[in-house]
Amino acid sequence: MYVVEVHAMDPFRSAPDAAKQGEPDLDSLLALVARGDQDAFETVYDRMAGPVFGVIRRVLRDPAQSEEVAQEVLLEVWRTASRFDRAKGTAATWVLTIAHRRAIDRVRSETAAAEREQRSASAPMPAALDEVAETVEASLEAERVRRCMDGLTELQRESITLAYYSGYSYPQVASLLDVALGTIKTRIRDGLIRLRDCLGVS
Amino acid sequence: MRLSPRRDAHALAGAYALDALDTAERDRFERHLRGCRACQAEVRGFAATAASLARAASIEPPPGLKERVLAAAAVTRQLPPDVTVPAAGESRRRRDATAPAMRSPWVPRLALAVGGAGLVAAAVLGYVTVSTQNQLTTTQSQSQELAAVLTAPDARISSGSTSAGGTATVVASPSEGKMVFTSAGMEALPSSKVYQMWFLGPGNPRSAGLVPPASVNGSTPPVLAAGLENGDKVAVTVEPAGGTSQPTTTPVVVLTLPA
Repeated sequence: MYVVEVHAMDPFRSAPDAAKQGEPDLDSLLALVARGDQDAFETVYDRMAGPVFGVIRRVLRDPAQSEEVAQEVLLEVWRTASRFDRAKGTAATWVLTIAHRRAIDRVRSETAAAEREQRSASAPMPAALDEVAETVEASLEAERVRRCMDGLTELQRESITLAYYSGYSYPQVASLLDVALGTIKTRIRDGLIRLRDCLGVS
Repeated sequence: MRLSPRRDAHALAGAYALDALDTAERDRFERHLRGCRACQAEVRGFAATAASLARAASIEPPPGLKERVLAAAAVTRQLPPDVTVPAAGESRRRRDATAPAMRSPWVPRLALAVGGAGLVAAAVLGYVTVSTQNQLTTTQSQSQELAAVLTAPDARISSGSTSAGGTATVVASPSEGKMVFTSAGMEALPSSKVYQMWFLGPGNPRSAGLVPPASVNGSTPPVLAAGLENGDKVAVTVEPAGGTSQPTTTPVVVLTLPA
């Protein structure tokens, strides 16, 4: 079960990590992982596998491919734990940044695209967004994000959703929404600023 | 105008945090980011925001994933911390003096470090391992820089036979802006000539340095070259000793890096 972040006390440690009382936060766990502590890694897995798999699945849709990428990402967390840099954000952010980027790498690699096409020709249509959303575990966080997303303009919301969850590049987003490139760049940034302030992260 | 490029780069912080830039733009923005504190702060906040979007998508991972990940971790060597090393010669001397046991060749360690990920790099490492196992002179800092390229997530490999015989191999990471070059079996040159590497982009060829002399078995030790731009090809020409600023002969090989 993923534990939802409650509130950001320290602006630099807005951490979703320090949720469970009496348990070390993810930043500390990662320091243990960097020293080869496999038990600490198991705890990191328990806390992060849900969102890691979830975001990858959201981008890639294909369950088998998503599982493959999730496994790569989680192993990368083990392998590169010593390179985690607190100055750039929390451990959870670090892990989820890797997860999203690997999913995007997979989308953008041509061979994978061909594979996906092949598969979708023979397989049933991928689950619709809402269908996936129903299985969302961290419903509180989902609710919070949904509420904050509602505060965005439609263009901001659509741009961010297409870029982050559907894995489109911003020129592709501009083309899909039939809006100028510069406009999309700005809307994504403005939307993120509003979202960031609403979510209370920094 | 001085402000506009900066403002433009600033506007990309959002798209960057959502991984919505193509590789070339991502590289350009990351170069800008290194020197822009305001951008760093903004990207930090946006990354945390994106992480919330990820958490909102959290779903139960498939059964069996945990066992596989933990099992893989148990047999995967971890990367060492990225510590700043003193100047190469100095560092080697000190290690020689105080910790002779640590003077193991870097390549086997590299090969282990890549285990599990960096598939592209792993492919070339088998090759590099063979061709350089006697290169004990490679310094620690060099090996870390090489490792950074070989294990970069966007590392890609290209290999081809050369008209001077043998094969040339490149592992390149556009995000690092660097490549590692190695070759085996290229014909030996008289001392008045060298093999020189070039980055071929839209403009004039840019020198990527000289290929180091081959060892007795005919392979050249992996050499690092910086200044790689996205989309570059890599060429090797025969030039007068010391190298030239522009190629004067037809390349013995031109390697195209996979996108």
